[in-house]
Formats: sequence, C-alpha cells, structure tokens
Amino acid sequence: MSEKTDYAIEVENLTKRFGELRAVDNISFTVKRGEVFALLGPNGAGKTSTVEIIDTIRTPTSGKVTLLGMDVTTQKRDIVHRIGVLPQGFTSFDRITVKETLQYYSRLYRRGTTDVDQLIELVNLTDKSDEQYKNLSGGLKQRLGIAISLVNDPEVVFLDEPTTGLDPRARHEVWQVLQGLKEKGKTVLLTTHYMEEAELLADTVAIISRGKIIAMGSPVELIHNNAQDQILTLQSVDGNVADIVRKIGFEPVLDSDDTVRIRIIQTEDVQLILSALKDAGALYLGLDVRKPNLEEVFLKLTGEALHDSHSEWGQV
Amino acid sequence: MSLRVVAANLYVKLLCVYREKTTMFFTLAFPVILILLFGTIFMSQDNVNFHLSVQDLDQSKASKESIEALETNGKFKITRVAPDVDAVQYVKDTKVTLVMVIPKGMERALQRRKFFSDYQSTAVITYVYDPSSSSVATKMDILNGVLAGINQELSGIPPFLKPVTKSILITKYRFIEYFIPGIIAMAVMTLSLFGSVNSNTELRQKGIIRKLSTTPITRSEWVLSDILYQFTIAVVSTIVMLLVSYAVFDVNLHITAWLPAFVALDVFAFVGIGMILTRFVKEAQSAAAAANAISFPMMFLSGSFFPIELMPSFLQTLAKTLPLYYVNEGLRAAMIFEDNASALHSAVIIGAFASVVFILGILATKWEEGQ
Repeated sequence: MSEKTDYAIEVENLTKRFGELRAVDNISFTVKRGEVFALLGPNGAGKTSTVEIIDTIRTPTSGKVTLLGMDVTTQKRDIVHRIGVLPQGFTSFDRITVKETLQYYSRLYRRGTTDVDQLIELVNLTDKSDEQYKNLSGGLKQRLGIAISLVNDPEVVFLDEPTTGLDPRARHEVWQVLQGLKEKGKTVLLTTHYMEEAELLADTVAIISRGKIIAMGSPVELIHNNAQDQILTLQSVDGNVADIVRKIGFEPVLDSDDTVRIRIIQTEDVQLILSALKDAGALYLGLDVRKPNLEEVFLKLTGEALHDSHSEWGQV
Repeated sequence: MSLRVVAANLYVKLLCVYREKTTMFFTLAFPVILILLFGTIFMSQDNVNFHLSVQDLDQSKASKESIEALETNGKFKITRVAPDVDAVQYVKDTKVTLVMVIPKGMERALQRRKFFSDYQSTAVITYVYDPSSSSVATKMDILNGVLAGINQELSGIPPFLKPVTKSILITKYRFIEYFIPGIIAMAVMTLSLFGSVNSNTELRQKGIIRKLSTTPITRSEWVLSDILYQFTIAVVSTIVMLLVSYAVFDVNLHITAWLPAFVALDVFAFVGIGMILTRFVKEAQSAAAAANAISFPMMFLSGSFFPIELMPSFLQTLAKTLPLYYVNEGLRAAMIFEDNASALHSAVIIGAFASVVFILGILATKWEEGQ
C-alpha cells in the first residue's frame, strides 16, 4: 500500500465499455493530495463513468485505479470510509429533515463524532436544518448533498455535476461552498460541463471528449496554450451580421440566442468589424470583448461546443 | 455487521412511513376494510334470513300452520301474496325471485292421508322462480329441507335416521374466526411483497441506492434493516387487525407465540420474493405490476378468503404448492384449533421456502452498480 504517495488518485490506462460503446477510452491522469481536479466535458463525454469507477460505484473494464494508495476494485470496503461522494442527480429521503439526513449518513460511517450542526453551517443550511428534503429547492438539495459527502471528514471528495440543473444564483451558492472545501485543503474530483465552474474552482482541468482526455493542465495553461485570441460578442444581431463579418475575413459563430462570437487577434479588429457593420447598416443591441476561456479551448481542441446551444466555429 | 447501522436504517425507514400519513393509513386500513366487509357478510350468513313470498291458495288451518312453521324456522322472512294474484306475473313484475304456491285442497289432502291412510294423497307445492337470480337455488335447497321436516312432522312417524352433529372443537367457531388468520396472512404477504418491491425500486430509481453504495453500509445490513422494517409494519398491521376483530366481531382466537412466528416467516418469504423481483424489474411501475401478478392469484388460491375445498381438485393441488397456503394453514391451526403439530408442520414448510427464497433474494440484491 503506497499511502505516502503525493497522489490521492492515480489512473492508468482506464477503459470502461458498455457493450460496444467505449465510455472511457484508455485514459491516465493523477490527482495530487489537496488538489481540486475537474473533468470538463459535454454530456456523454465519459466524465461520470470515470468518476464512478474511481469512487467505487462501477467497476472498470480494464486499467488500474489507485485511490489513497488502494486499488478501487479490491479495497472498496477500506476506501469508502475515506471518501465522500456526491453522485450525479443526487436525491435523498423525501420525508427526512436536513439534520436527520446528516445524522443518518453519519451513523452509516459508524462515527459518533460528526458535528452535524457545523456541517449544516458549512453549507449554509442552518435555517433549513428542520426542513424535510422534499421541501428544499434544487440548490439547497445540492448543498445538503455536499454536506452528506463530508460527514465522514473524507480525504477525497467526489462531486459529480454538483451544479447541473441549478439556476445561476443557486450555482454561485454551491460554488461558495466548494471554495470553502478548497480552502480546507480537501482533495476534490469534480465533473462539470460548466467552464466557469472548472475555471473558478479547479487547480487542474482535464478536458474530456468521447471518452478520451484531450488536454490537461491548469485553466491558465490550457487557455494560454490553446486559445490566446480574444472574443468579440455581438448580442441580438441582424440576420446578415455573420455574412458581413465573414466577408472581411473573420470566422463568426452564431449562437441560438442571436448572438455572434468572433475570435479577434488584436484590438484593432474590433474597430474593423464594427465599421464594416456600420457601413452595411447591420444592427446589434450590445457587444463585449473578453479574454478566451475554457469554452474556446474546448472548441479549438474538439471542433465542438461544450454546450448544446452553441454552434460549431465557422458553421453559421 | 453493525447493529448501529441497521438501527439507523430502520429508524429512517420508519420515520419516512410515519410521516407519510396517507400511505400509512391506507397500509393499515386495507386489511381492516376487508375484515369489516367480509366479517359483516359472513356474520349475517351465520344468521341467514331469506325473503320468501308465499301464496296460500287453500286458506285453510293446515296451510296457515305450514306458513307459520316456515316463519318460526327462522330461515325465511315471509311475504304473503294474495290468492287472486298470478304468481308467474308477480315474479316477473316484482324483484321477488321465488314464490312458493300452496295449492287449493291442501288441507283436504292432508286429512285424507291422516284419517283414511291414503298415502297417494299429496299436495303439490309449486316454486315459481326467476332462474336468473344467483340466490334462488340456495333458497329452494333450504326450502326443500324445511318442507322435508314439515312432511316428516305431518306424517306423525318419528324419523328413522336422526343426524346429530358433534364438533371436534369445544367451542363453536364462526366463519369470521376462520377468516381472520387468512386475512392476517394475506395482509402480511401484501405488505412485505409490495413494501420490499416498491421501496427498493423507488430508492434505486432515485439514486439513493447508488449513494449508499459509496458508504460503508453493507448489503447484509441493508437487507436486515429492510426485514426488520417490514416485520415492524407487519406486526403493527396485525395488531390493528386483531383489535378491530375483537372489538367489532368479538372473535375467539388463540394468540400464542405461533402468531409472531408465522408473521415473521410470512415476512421473510415475501420480502425474499420482493428482493428477487427488484433485481429483475427495473422500473417501480413494472415491479408493482409483477408483485400484483404474484400476490393476486396467491390471495385467492391459497385459501385466505374461503376454504380451498370449495375449489376444483386441480386448483386444490395448485394451492398446496403456494407458500401463502401454509401460512394460512399454520395460523388457523394455531389460532383456531390450537393444533401445535399442524402448526409446526406448516411452519417447517413455509420456513424452508422462506429460507431458500430469502437467500436467493440476498444473492439477487444488486448493491453496487457493478458492470
């Protein structure tokens, strides 16, 4: 048992097949102790299959996964005491209150020392501690799920899509809780398809597509190496904006909400595009210029959008 | 195995059902409603009182005495039909299903028989009836029996064959007392089978099982807490059923250690079947349909509601292959007849079945997602 290793998680040539489908295709990576590691990718990329193998829910088809120095396929009973898991689409017992739920999970770990009130405070649910699960909003349910994943004071926390389906406000509330975990020095393996989430929380991001890791590094490194261009976004545009922009040599991307994004190399390009639009009499209601993010990295590396609402570059 | 974990799981399950007031009410109310419904039917059957219309065309002392004899017999509530009414039309026009017509000249025929020993002298009683009525055949059978008694009495000769009933039981038992153990067996089966299937498929669909698989709780701790939960619900339900039976029908049943023993065996057997079903049926609705497919035939074929002797012989053979039959038989042996040997015989059979099914159920329970 190599407990003294710097790595909390070591994944070597991991493959998971469901019939003919290779959900996870020969991937390898390591997660350092105290690191927040994000698997970023669209739905169906293989994130959940990967994390469910590492957190012992599923068994791998081939490859080796070591968690805290233990083999996940043979030492599950030892591992579960030292990890906390928020599975994708987490739910709990409808009629049980927040406090009772945490007490219940605490007892499953044979622990008498869990300070349930402190956990409730950590996830900002103090005024909801006597509320039954069914009466909680989506964001509160996810925060309870995170609290449950911490009842055994785990060394490694797995959070599978912790903010999927939440409104922006609830998502930010969950992020605050996750930043608290990061400050406490927990090792966190996070899956998400929100690039802001990965950028904000992760020390290391692995971009995963069709079961393969296509890039890995810190968010800054990934962006620096793969997407240096700035992005001009024009909102509520006329139908001919994309054509005008293309005519002057840029590659516009038209999103489903009448927004056009254009990669620009230098600041003068903005003036050039706006002048062309003005000359053509094309209208738009707003614009912004921002640095590239992981969304652009994903687009560049895969040619596909991270979210369904985005078209591919150049296919306007 | 940690009893603390088992207790935590049991507590949460009981808390959930306690807070689901509607579910709990109907869980306990269903067998009670059956007891009240069937109990009322069977109790009135013990004092059955048929409506019978009688048309006396003779209007004599003898005919009046015959009608009074029918009334005092207690089986019939008599309605008199005027002699000038057409009995056939009367049955057609009213909801009456049977009119017994006493012929004109009945008294004279009786006198000829009595005083002149004319044994060829008879009075023909006519039954005018509606064959579409399901109860009319029963009425006529009872009426035939009563008339046979009246014939015997009128003949003035004591009967040669005199039946005397002798029960093997010291106390006379009513049908409701036969019925209650069957309802207990059936209710515990339903609670255990549906409880196991519904709760496990629901928890699996909600992803709670997946979450639990990442905690230290073991499959045996989960299964044991499930059994204890189902047993607790079954015990509460049994107590409610017995309280209602004693309060409403003043039943006379023997409550011994056999009762909790059979309830426990019933729970084990049907939770085991439920666990097997849960393994193979993924959706909650399909699981409930599968549980229905098992429980309904068993409910009616295994003698919970009526003795299997009333069924065709091949169904009787089939009934004896059903686990619920042995719970019914065992509970009746213990609660009615105080027959420990028969109770033990049934307990051994259902115990063996429960053991096999329960082990298969544990093996079938899929805790981790596995593949």
